[in-house]
Amino acid sequence: MTKSLFRGILITVLFAFVAFVLIPIYVPRPAFIPGFAPPPDMWPRVISIIGMGLGLVAFCLTLLGKGEAEDPAPKSDGAPTKTLILRAFGAAAAFAGFIVILPIVGFAIGAMLLTGVCILLTGERGHVIWAVAISVLGPLALTFFFQKALGTQFPQGVLGPVIGL
Amino acid sequence: MLNDILMALQAVATLENLLIMIAGIWGGVIIGAIPGMTGTMAVTLALPFTFYMDPVPSILMLVALYKGSTYGGSVSAILIKTPGTASAACTALDGYPLAQQGKAGKALNMALYSSVTGDFISNLSLIFLAAPLAILALRVGPPEYFMLMLFALTTVAGVSGNSLLLGLVSAAMGLLLATAGEDIYGSFRFAFTEDMQAGLSVAPVLIGLFALPELIKMIVMRAAPDNETAKLGDQKVSRAEFMRSFKSILRGSSIGVIMGAIPGIGPSAAAFFSYGEAQRSSKNGKNFGKGELEGIAASESANNGACGATMIPLLALGVPGDVITGVMLGAFMIQGLTPGPLLFQTNIHEIYMLFIGMLFSSVLLFGAGKLTMRMFSYVAHIPQTLLTPTVLLLCLFGIYSISSSMFDVTVLLIMGCVGFGMFLLNIPAAPFLIAFILGPMIEDNLRRALAISRGEPGILLSSPITWVFAALIIFVVTLTVRREIHKAKERKGEVA
Repeated sequence: MTKSLFRGILITVLFAFVAFVLIPIYVPRPAFIPGFAPPPDMWPRVISIIGMGLGLVAFCLTLLGKGEAEDPAPKSDGAPTKTLILRAFGAAAAFAGFIVILPIVGFAIGAMLLTGVCILLTGERGHVIWAVAISVLGPLALTFFFQKALGTQFPQGVLGPVIGL
Repeated sequence: MLNDILMALQAVATLENLLIMIAGIWGGVIIGAIPGMTGTMAVTLALPFTFYMDPVPSILMLVALYKGSTYGGSVSAILIKTPGTASAACTALDGYPLAQQGKAGKALNMALYSSVTGDFISNLSLIFLAAPLAILALRVGPPEYFMLMLFALTTVAGVSGNSLLLGLVSAAMGLLLATAGEDIYGSFRFAFTEDMQAGLSVAPVLIGLFALPELIKMIVMRAAPDNETAKLGDQKVSRAEFMRSFKSILRGSSIGVIMGAIPGIGPSAAAFFSYGEAQRSSKNGKNFGKGELEGIAASESANNGACGATMIPLLALGVPGDVITGVMLGAFMIQGLTPGPLLFQTNIHEIYMLFIGMLFSSVLLFGAGKLTMRMFSYVAHIPQTLLTPTVLLLCLFGIYSISSSMFDVTVLLIMGCVGFGMFLLNIPAAPFLIAFILGPMIEDNLRRALAISRGEPGILLSSPITWVFAALIIFVVTLTVRREIHKAKERKGEVA
C-alpha cells in the first residue's frame, strides 16, 4: 500500500470515527435550544463530513493515479525501518513516562529525566558535560526562575520535598 | 492640533518614558523568542506593575511588550523552527530553511526590517485612520465575519504545503479540535475528561505542533547534522533584496492594518493571509516555503502591522481586537480611562501621548531587534541534539506556568506526536493551527448568523461584503487548483 493510499484511508476513517462514534456519545444535544440557534453538534458534524469527503477524494484520486506526488522519504541516518519505529516508540514512551512518574518525582526531577532521556535518544554522545548541564541545571534554573519571578508552584511529587525541590 | 501634538511629544520624550519603553520592547523580544512564553503572557504579567505607574507610561509599556513579543516570535521561528508566537508561524516556513542554508542573519534582518516597517505604517494608520476604520468595522456582522474567516482559512490551506486537498484536511482537523470544550450555548463537546470541558488552549497546541516534532524527528531520523545550519552565515539584506520584497512589505502592512482593525482577527490571521497573497502574486512564488525572503517580509510586516491597528477598535470603540488588547483594556480601566468614542473628547492629551509613544516604540524596536539578534544568533551554533531537548525543557516549564495545568503539558506532548505523524503523512501543520485559532470565531459567527436568519443559510451571502469574500474564496480555490494541475503536468512531462 502506498503512502498516499494509506493517507486517504486514514483521513476517511478518522473523520468517520468522529462523525459516527464520538459525536453521538460526546456531543450531547440539550433538551432546549433557544430560538433558531443551531444545535451544538451541527458544526462538528459538518466538519467531520467534509473531512470524510476530503479523505475519500484523496483515496479515489490515488486509485485513479491522479493523487499527490509521493514526496521523498525524510532524511535519516539510514537505520532500518524497524529501528526508526522503535525510536518513535521510545520518544512516545519518554513523554508518557514523564506524565506517569510526575506525581512521584515532581516536575523538576521529571523534567531532568525527560531531558536527559531525550538527549540520549537523539544519539548525542559527544557533549557529555553540556548534556548533563542542560538536563540537571536547566530544570533547576527554570524552576527557580518561575517560582521566584512569577510565583508558579510546580508539582513537587513525593520525592520533591524530601530532596528540597 | 499641532500644539497638542507638540505638547504630547514633550510629555513623552522623557528619560523615564523612554526607559520604560526600552524595557518593554526588550522584555517583549526576549519573551516572544522563548517558545512557550507568549506576548499575552508578557502583557498579563506586566499588568500588576501598571497599578503603580501613570496612565500613559503604563499603556506604553504594555504596547512595547506586545510589539516586542510579536517581533521576538520570529527569532525562534527562524533559528529553531519554533514560533515564539502564533503570528510567527508563517515566518518559520521560509525563515528556518534560510537558517539551514546558512542565512539565518539575513532572515533575521529581513524579519526586523519588515516588522519595523509594518509597525511604523500601523502606527500611522492608527493615528490617521482610527475613526473611519472603526466605523467600517462596526458594519461587519456575523455573516461577514464568517465569510472573511473562511476566506482566510481557504487561503492558508491553499498556500501551505504542496496540496490544497491536504491543506483542507489539515484545516478540518484544526477546526474539529477547536470544537472541544464549552460552546456558546453552554454545551460541553468532546469533554472526555473534566479538564477538556474548558477546551484546549492555543499555546500547548501551537507549541506542541511546531516545536516538538523537531525533537521527535531528531530522535527518530537522526539525520546527519548539516554544518551550514549551525552558522549564522550571510547576514546583510541587500538593497536589491529589500526592494524586491518592498511590495510584499507594503501589502503585508496594509493587510495587517485592515485585519488588525477588525476585532477578533489580529496578527496571526493577518500574517497567514499576507503570506498567501505574497506567494500568489510573487514572481518567486515557487520558492515560498523553501527559504524565500519575500515570505518572511510578507508575514512579519503583516503581524507587526496588525499590532498598532488592534488598538483602533480598542481606542475608538472600546472593543479589544485580540486577547492582548483585552488585557490592555483592563489596564485602561485600572487607570480610570474608558476606551471608546468619548475618550477622544475627554482624554485627547493622553491619546496624543499614546500615538507619539507608539511612533517612538517603532524606532526602539529596530534598536532592540538589532542588539537582540546578535544575542540570539548564538542559538544557531548549538548542536541540534542539545538544542531540541532544551526547547522541550523551555516548552514544559513555559506551558505549565501559563495556567499551572498538567493537562496543558499533556496536550503539549500529545500534539508533538500528532505533529510528527502529520509530518510523516505530508499533511501541513499551518492550516491546522490557524483553523484551531479561528475555529471558535468561525463557528460562533456562523451560529449567530443562522440564529439571526432563523436557520436560513442565505444570510451568509446577504450583503455586498459577503459577496466579495465569496468571490475571493472561489478565486483562491481556482488559482490553487490551476497551480496544482500545472504542477502535475510538469511532473508528468519530467517523467516522460
